[in-house]
Amino acid sequence: MKTTILTNNVKRNYLLVSFIFAIFFSVQNASAQKVTVKGVVKGKTELNTELLMGVNIYLKDKSAITTSNRKGEFTFPQELNVGDILVFSYLGFIKKEIKVTRNSTNLTVILQEDDNEMLGAPNTNKRFSSKKDRQ
Amino acid sequence: MQKAIVFLVFFQASLLFSQQSDFSYISFTKADIIAKNTKSRRLYELNKLTINLTKDLHTDVEKVRAIFKWICLNVANDFRLYAKNERKREKFKKDSLKLSEWNSELKTELFSRLLRRKKTICTGYAYLFKEMCSIAGIESKMIYGFGRTADVLEFDPAYPNHTWNAVKLNNKWYLCDATWAAGISLPERKKFTFKYNDGYFLTDPELFINNHYPIYPEDALLKKNIPTFEEFAQLPLIYGGAYKYFKNHNSPSKMYNELKVDTAFNFKYILKDNVEFKDVKLVFIKGIIEFSRKPEITKEENIISLNYWFRKTGYYDVHLYLNDEILATYIFNIKP
Repeated sequence: MKTTILTNNVKRNYLLVSFIFAIFFSVQNASAQKVTVKGVVKGKTELNTELLMGVNIYLKDKSAITTSNRKGEFTFPQELNVGDILVFSYLGFIKKEIKVTRNSTNLTVILQEDDNEMLGAPNTNKRFSSKKDRQ
Repeated sequence: MQKAIVFLVFFQASLLFSQQSDFSYISFTKADIIAKNTKSRRLYELNKLTINLTKDLHTDVEKVRAIFKWICLNVANDFRLYAKNERKREKFKKDSLKLSEWNSELKTELFSRLLRRKKTICTGYAYLFKEMCSIAGIESKMIYGFGRTADVLEFDPAYPNHTWNAVKLNNKWYLCDATWAAGISLPERKKFTFKYNDGYFLTDPELFINNHYPIYPEDALLKKNIPTFEEFAQLPLIYGGAYKYFKNHNSPSKMYNELKVDTAFNFKYILKDNVEFKDVKLVFIKGIIEFSRKPEITKEENIISLNYWFRKTGYYDVHLYLNDEILATYIFNIKP
């Protein structure tokens, strides 16, 4: 192995370089690191999991927004900072918030169907008649 | 003095309840024009649509107005889906597992039809409103409950049939029903006509309770006198027209009324501001006989009273009409 032939001196330098790198990265992490967030959104229902088109995707402060396409794919229109919160919301599914990390370049977001029932009482101007009731 | 009391009662009432007139100092003209001129063939870009509707408006109430009005002008009632849902719900009534599966299947179909074809049923309207408000940064919620119409007068408390919304403006909750505001349905003819009814936007809770009973009674937004479920089923039947003209429906307080012959009955309503009416009539139905009568009308401030003498015995359906539009139905059983 390469490391076995390193002299003590080089080893020390190597450690120093690693240390500098570590500091560099942690500083970078703490400050703004830009990420292009991409991914695909699916919806999980009782029966299956399908790609969702038209999912509303926005930064929590609503400063930037996008929508998933026909294949459920999206690319967020601006680079985001690590730590930003993205909200995924679609009719009939539970809203999901995702914290942007350095690895958010290829997300698979799965929204869970909510348990609301679907109802409908149409508005009618049909006049009431008690005739039926009394027969 | 009497006028002062009337004024005080009014003033108090307007302080108590959340209603559209809370915002009478704001004109909705701009929001309405934006709603009318904003087009979107499909709803796959709700974000963009909502921002287009709200970006030039400065108050939350105007933003909500633009969203509500846009939904009402663009989203139609979906009869095919409504009928299918009714059939399936009836079929799986006793099988909660199947019902839940159907509900999930329906949801997928429903939202796909809503986004692609701008057609839906109540819950779809309520979801859409909530989602668009959320994009605009305004808090709102969906309310499940019981909608009372000529077709559905009595309910099984386990089976709600309607969904509407509450929206929070200036820290106060307000009621609205986009489904019923959008237009008139003729289910038997599978026909829907867009006809916007402003009465369902930020409606006075006291009027709203006449045909909207929420699963959670506090969602009625009434501070006191929340009717029980049984009392709700006995309230007078009111129609869309009542929302157009009335701020409140006072008397009769029940749908079914018993009277002795040769007595007078007093119908009482509180009208909205600036309501004009030319013609008020009561239409009586007894078996196959139908006739209409003009009651004696007195009007003081916004309170309108109709006085009618029942001179013949019998069992009557009594319909209230204003400007040839039906507003309410009562039953009068006139005894000897």
